Amino acid sequence: MSDHGFAFLDGDAKKEIRRALLKAVALPGYIVPFASREMPVARGWGTGGLQITLSIILEQDVLKVIDQGCDGSVNAINIRNFITSVTKVMTTSKTSRASIIQTRHRIPEHELRENQVLVFQVPYPEVLTTVEPDTAQQKQMHADGDYSKLWVLLYEDTSQYGDSRISNRYPVQVNNHFVMDPSPIPKYDIPRMDNCPALQLFGAGREKRMYAIPPYTTVKPLKFDDREFKIEVFPGVCCERCGARDVFFDEVRLGSDRRYFCSDTEFCDKNMEKNDAA
Amino acid sequence: MLLDVRNVSKIYGTSCDQCLSLTGVEHDRAICPECGSVVAVNSISLSARKNEILGIVGESGSGKSTLLQLIYQDIRASSGEIFFQGVTDKNGQPSNILHEPPSAVSRLRSKEMSMIYQNPRLGLNFLFSAGGNIAERIIGAGERRYDEIRSNALDYIRRIEMETSRIDDYPEEFSGGQQQRIQIAKALSSSPQLLLLDEPTTGLDVSVQAKILDLIKELQQDMGFSMIIVSHDLGVINHLTDITVVMKHGTLVEYGLTDQILEDPQHPYTQLLVSSIL
Ligand SMILES: Nc1ncnc2c1ncn2[C@@H]1O[C@H](COP(=O)(O)OP(=O)(O)OP(=O)(O)O)[C@@H](O)[C@H]1O
Ligand SMILES: [Mg+2]
Ligand SMILES: [Zn+2]
Repeated sequence: MSDHGFAFLDGDAKKEIRRALLKAVALPGYIVPFASREMPVARGWGTGGLQITLSIILEQDVLKVIDQGCDGSVNAINIRNFITSVTKVMTTSKTSRASIIQTRHRIPEHELRENQVLVFQVPYPEVLTTVEPDTAQQKQMHADGDYSKLWVLLYEDTSQYGDSRISNRYPVQVNNHFVMDPSPIPKYDIPRMDNCPALQLFGAGREKRMYAIPPYTTVKPLKFDDREFKIEVFPGVCCERCGARDVFFDEVRLGSDRRYFCSDTEFCDKNMEKNDAA
Repeated sequence: MLLDVRNVSKIYGTSCDQCLSLTGVEHDRAICPECGSVVAVNSISLSARKNEILGIVGESGSGKSTLLQLIYQDIRASSGEIFFQGVTDKNGQPSNILHEPPSAVSRLRSKEMSMIYQNPRLGLNFLFSAGGNIAERIIGAGERRYDEIRSNALDYIRRIEMETSRIDDYPEEFSGGQQQRIQIAKALSSSPQLLLLDEPTTGLDVSVQAKILDLIKELQQDMGFSMIIVSHDLGVINHLTDITVVMKHGTLVEYGLTDQILEDPQHPYTQLLVSSIL
């Protein structure tokens, strides 16, 4: 009961969420329901990720929170402030130093390591919703491993547009079994989920659902055997701030001008420090 | 033997131990007088060999559609056994598919058996293009190469004598007869061993009906699958089938070579049916 009062959630809530997490980790990519609690943050603003973070966080943890790669955005700051107000844990913007990283829509550029936990905020947990509205049917399709309807979408896009039109939330197959929604990360981040040393947890507060990818698990985008999976590329582009190439960029339009900056602000800062030192 | 149906029944309602013995053609009713259940299919046995074409005739409500759905595993039999070539237990002995795990049944349905429904909305996904519908079945049978899927889909569009340029059009944009052709292309694209057809031409213009029946016959001769076709129309049965099954009140009234049954019907009910059309 030493937990009581720590990290906002009461002991029962934490127990329930941890139990669901254990199940999620045991069945990589499988959607597990949980009794999503009311949070002092509006639903749809990361309450699923927040509850996961609060149920696993310990006093010695070091927390990083990002929104689309940025530590300094209002949403990231609000969530970080809330978590520190109920835990007093240390925070950092340094990916390498964090033990828990709560994120919306990005995976940090810096390679993740063992004993790190990446907590994704998920708006739509069920990957089959686009092709099958009936929830009982969705369950059956997961049980049968029947993802042919998702494949048909891929077939239709390839026939009519030459490639998949999905730009984010690209369906991935986990551990050669369940197909899941990776949350709205760009395609650039999809290959980085594969065989990742960190534990990846996914929480959808509004939908009361969670799922997980244990460390070193196979994660493959759904793609035809005779087609390449194409990630976003930015030919010739380098970051206006730090000069980095071959990372994921935010495009800023100023009038007719397009300007590019690292989407991962901590990576950008670190790169600038390096440049200054040199 | 490709398909062996033994003593299969389907009872809708609470059912009692008298349901089967108090209904059927000899009692001139399908509703159990003891418990009021509807005995849609009553103790039917039949079989189909490779390349064989069976026809099922009978009045409205006699259980024809129910019998097809029982074979296709759209619904579960109340009792009986169904054997399908290749479905065996660990000792290699034929295994009742009603006791097989869902994965085996799902494989039968996605590859070895196909169903063509009277209503194209049951057989086609109206959210997918014609090609997408065909692709769904090819993918369901295990193909994961786009070029292979596309060229197969085009091949089946050709086989149903449709312009290949229409492959990416959606079902709404086709006539009723064309929708039935697309259902046929979809059903055959997994190279099934058994094709089940539930009044595939009812509701279409007579001239369109004849063309589709000819197409089915040609495809059957080309590809060599077995077929069970339900029809109200003894003309269709005569034109298409080797074996005829006559049903009334859920029971099998007559079962034998089509030529013999049409020339020399034994049961008074069949005599009545035959005399009314000749
Ligand atoms: N889901 C159901 N619930 C209850 N009764 C049903 C159900 N489906 C079918 N029945 C009954 O089972 C009997 C057989 O129906 P079925 O649809 O198999 O007949 P059919 O021979 O195909 O008729 P038709 O020629 O009109 O298509 C009918 O009495 C029908 O009302
Ligand atoms: Mg019917
Ligand atoms: Zn009864």
